[in-house]
Amino acid sequence: MNCQRFETVVSELARGQMMAAEQRAEALAHSDICDDCAARLSDEQMLTLGLQSLASEMESLEAPRELEAKLLEAFRAREVVVPIAKRSSSRYWLAAIAAMLLIAISVMAFRWINRQGDEPREAIKQEQPKPKLDVSNKSNEQLAQDIKKPSIDYLFPQQSKPKRIRPVNLRRSNNAAVANHVTKEIATDFIPLSYMSAVSLQQEGGQIIRVQLPRSALANFGLPVNMDRYNEKVKADVLYGVDGMARAIRFVQ
Amino acid sequence: MKLKSDVNDNDLLRLMLAGDEEALALLYRRRQGSVYRFALQMSGSRSIAEDVTQEVFLFLMREGHVFDASKGTVGAFLLGVARVHVRRRLRAEHRLEPLGDDAEDDDVFMQSTTDMCPLEDLTRAETIESVRKAVLSLPPKYREVVVLCELQDVSYGETAEILGCAIGTVRSRLHRGRALLLAKLRPAADVEETGAATVRCFA
Repeated sequence: MNCQRFETVVSELARGQMMAAEQRAEALAHSDICDDCAARLSDEQMLTLGLQSLASEMESLEAPRELEAKLLEAFRAREVVVPIAKRSSSRYWLAAIAAMLLIAISVMAFRWINRQGDEPREAIKQEQPKPKLDVSNKSNEQLAQDIKKPSIDYLFPQQSKPKRIRPVNLRRSNNAAVANHVTKEIATDFIPLSYMSAVSLQQEGGQIIRVQLPRSALANFGLPVNMDRYNEKVKADVLYGVDGMARAIRFVQ
Repeated sequence: MKLKSDVNDNDLLRLMLAGDEEALALLYRRRQGSVYRFALQMSGSRSIAEDVTQEVFLFLMREGHVFDASKGTVGAFLLGVARVHVRRRLRAEHRLEPLGDDAEDDDVFMQSTTDMCPLEDLTRAETIESVRKAVLSLPPKYREVVVLCELQDVSYGETAEILGCAIGTVRSRLHRGRALLLAKLRPAADVEETGAATVRCFA
């Protein structure tokens, strides 16, 4: 064994780690004939002793007793407030009920609006009865003329109707514009800010807050940065957990 | 139902996640010491060690289901979580570089009394203190390997699991960390005398 080889095993030798008996014997034999390597081994052994002393000095150290009580208290509180399985299933139920309510309300609103629009039409129809041919006081010739030239109102009743204004349609177009605006946003996936997995992010829930960050922050998450717009700000949604800690971030364009 | 102390950590964790408070208490009592000492040895601060211990077990309550028994032990999992929290705390407090000058925490390792004579006790205490300071002054990636392998007596395999690296990396970091410790602990006069920290021969 030479000094280079000895150097690779000296730590293991000093620490008394498991190693091949032959290799150990070779290393010890080398330290007998090489003063530098013997000194190196001696240093390593002293270091091992020092570290062992430090470890044994700290062996009895433990966390304060009140910490256990705090944790158990937190555990009890967690059981009451956030039962994970129930919370996730109840969330789906709430979402389903909310969706059904929304659908029911929109159907009712649609019907109500249609009914409102139809009411004036019916009223107009009632106000404009079909002209009756008065045959009692007219001669046959006059009757024949009346039949040949029916009243214009009777033949084109729609033209006399007042035009119906449907403000709902206007509102709808506004809503559509808003919806388009919302869908025009492009967002990245949520990038976890800690060791949490995407699944645990979804399960934990929390609050999303829109913030503005310097564009350079994109680089911190491994996203490409346009150097021409380096000084501009970029929008981001930060997901905060129930404990107020930032859990994840997504960038929005 | 009273839990027996021979229930393994995996079962305790499973029971705890099912809402068993006693399982949490047992698991805490079994594992808090190593987590607390690891955080203390990494940070040199008792307050950080307490906070980290608390955060680790709170994390276990919330996210314990992410533990995968096929990837390692509960103990290694907890130390891995502790490592993340320690590094985060140190980064937040801008204390990644040399630590250990905190007056409040300097006496952390000097509390135990021994039966040795005062002079021996003093020498031993000085040695321990100098080793402690040398460990705290190591760069984090070497410090965590030295703390785990040397002070916590964790195997290379488990250390590799905790750090998420290969066993070979653990070995090389430990080797390098020990060399740095020796360089820090070697008396200055010794270095001046020899003119170099290490002299290599090729016999």
